Amino acid sequence: MKRNYKKAFFIFMDNQFIFKYSWKTTPKKWVHKMERSEHGNRSDTNTDYPFQLLCFLKLHTYTRVQVSIDICGVDHPSRKRRFEVVHNLLSTRYNSRIRVQTSADEVTRISPVVSPFPSAGRWEREVWDMSGVSSINHPDLRRISTDYGFEGHPLRKDLPLSGYVEVRYDDPEKRVVSEPIEMTQEFRYFDSASPWEQRSDG
Amino acid sequence: MTVPATRKDLMIVNMGPHHPSMHGVLRLIVTLDGEDVINCEPVLGYLHRGMEKIAENRTIIQYLPYVTRWDYLATMFTEAITVNGPEQLGNIQVPKRASYIRAIMLELSRIASHLLWLGPFMADIGAQTPFFYIFRERELIYDLFEAVTGMRMMHNYFRIGGVAADLPHGWIDKCLDFCNYFLTVVAEYQKLITRNPIFLERVEGVGIIGGEEVINWGLSGPMLRASGIQWDLRKVDHYECYDEFDWEVQWQKEGDSLARYLVRINEMKESIKIIQQALEGIPGGPYENLEVRRFDRTKDSEWNDFEYRFISKKPSPTFELSKQELYVRVEAPKGELGIFLIGDQSIFPWRWKIRPPGFINLQILPQLVKRMKLADIMTILGSIDIIMGEVDR
Repeated sequence: MKRNYKKAFFIFMDNQFIFKYSWKTTPKKWVHKMERSEHGNRSDTNTDYPFQLLCFLKLHTYTRVQVSIDICGVDHPSRKRRFEVVHNLLSTRYNSRIRVQTSADEVTRISPVVSPFPSAGRWEREVWDMSGVSSINHPDLRRISTDYGFEGHPLRKDLPLSGYVEVRYDDPEKRVVSEPIEMTQEFRYFDSASPWEQRSDG
Repeated sequence: MTVPATRKDLMIVNMGPHHPSMHGVLRLIVTLDGEDVINCEPVLGYLHRGMEKIAENRTIIQYLPYVTRWDYLATMFTEAITVNGPEQLGNIQVPKRASYIRAIMLELSRIASHLLWLGPFMADIGAQTPFFYIFRERELIYDLFEAVTGMRMMHNYFRIGGVAADLPHGWIDKCLDFCNYFLTVVAEYQKLITRNPIFLERVEGVGIIGGEEVINWGLSGPMLRASGIQWDLRKVDHYECYDEFDWEVQWQKEGDSLARYLVRINEMKESIKIIQQALEGIPGGPYENLEVRRFDRTKDSEWNDFEYRFISKKPSPTFELSKQELYVRVEAPKGELGIFLIGDQSIFPWRWKIRPPGFINLQILPQLVKRMKLADIMTILGSIDIIMGEVDR
């Protein structure tokens, strides 16, 4: 029964449908910009609204975006609200994907989307750990990928690629210690952009 | 919290980062009441290598050796997705032959990954023998890969616009021989395992996930298909040349560990079918779209034309990523592997977010092991098929 439904809908709905439909039906204060490109559709929203918008997208019959594929944080240091949190979503019923983006700065907190999408729990922890954008009332906000005593948020552009501390096992103390990093070689930057004509279109 | 049945306090056991089986460095903090599991908390991050930050400082061609280290058992998929991203950003066409070669390599890699899932899964359950048998087949696949790419495991084979080198002479026949041999071997595994009463006792009815829950939690891959949802990105996304082959999506209804096992075994057989069709239908032609890095582009010259000029020695392939965002995905053997790529108008990407299937599939573990016995944790963990290289990146 459920499977017949899916096959029928694959025929008429296409990738643009969710996009256009949600633009027409959501309240304008939730979505303030929508952009469509051949590489995916995105909609921009404010930091207070991801929860409402995602609940709408998940539960509404014609959008049914039930899978949260990915949440990531992007750092654009040149902008005033430097972080952008991107939720990538998928609707298995209509075979469409949509991206919802929010801008935040270092101290803004985003509404968590854990209750409609339980899989977002870990993603939001990772966004917190890597970029420093936290969620209000998140059930379990701790670091997930970095070391136990790590300070800083690695995916911000101001943390250098080699980091600030290095770890080594210290024999007198019989444990692993962290020390400031010692660079024996300077950072190798391979600017392999060719002096010839580049292929840059698309 | 329910009243503990056996004792007054609960015991907290640490199944530490080092494991005898091949899951990788995953730490499970398990709260036990006698043999029943009350709660289980996975702790990740032991293999975090900063792959995403490294990607922001490397060109695509420099980054390709890194990507095979995410999922080190199904390496072609990570390479395929690294290369698919820029290809879609730049609208680069991949020649037909390269597409077929890629499909063959991806399916071989899928078989290799499922084999190396099967071995440790059975070893966790207690059957040691399949662990050695799978390496026999995996060595054959390694030999095939080595003949083409030069490396057994961490091939640096895919390039933007195709593959790095063509198939050597005689490889197709060897691969067909392998396919025929492999079908007999899969039959052997099925005879050994599938109706084995001890196996069925351990696996049937363990770790059941319903269809609705699977979608809620965002699972993908064999876990999704074992719970009754026929969602396979190869069919849905129509990527590479999978549409030209005649194959079916393998799925089961029950959603327990046995169903996941059956889905993976059937997927291996289906992959052999795809490889056989691809090998028989492989077209001739170029194996790489050298258009991507040719010099002196006059606007109208055609691919096979005599006026078309490119330097025969391959120059340093630099590819500028345009200022767009893109989410590209592929059906890896573990699930949906995705890259969210934000290009800057430069050779380094601005943000390279890896969406590993294992990271998401692992989230359901605490929920599945509640009220199970301690021994079932390893069964369920094995049937989820995670690999820490991609979970932690």
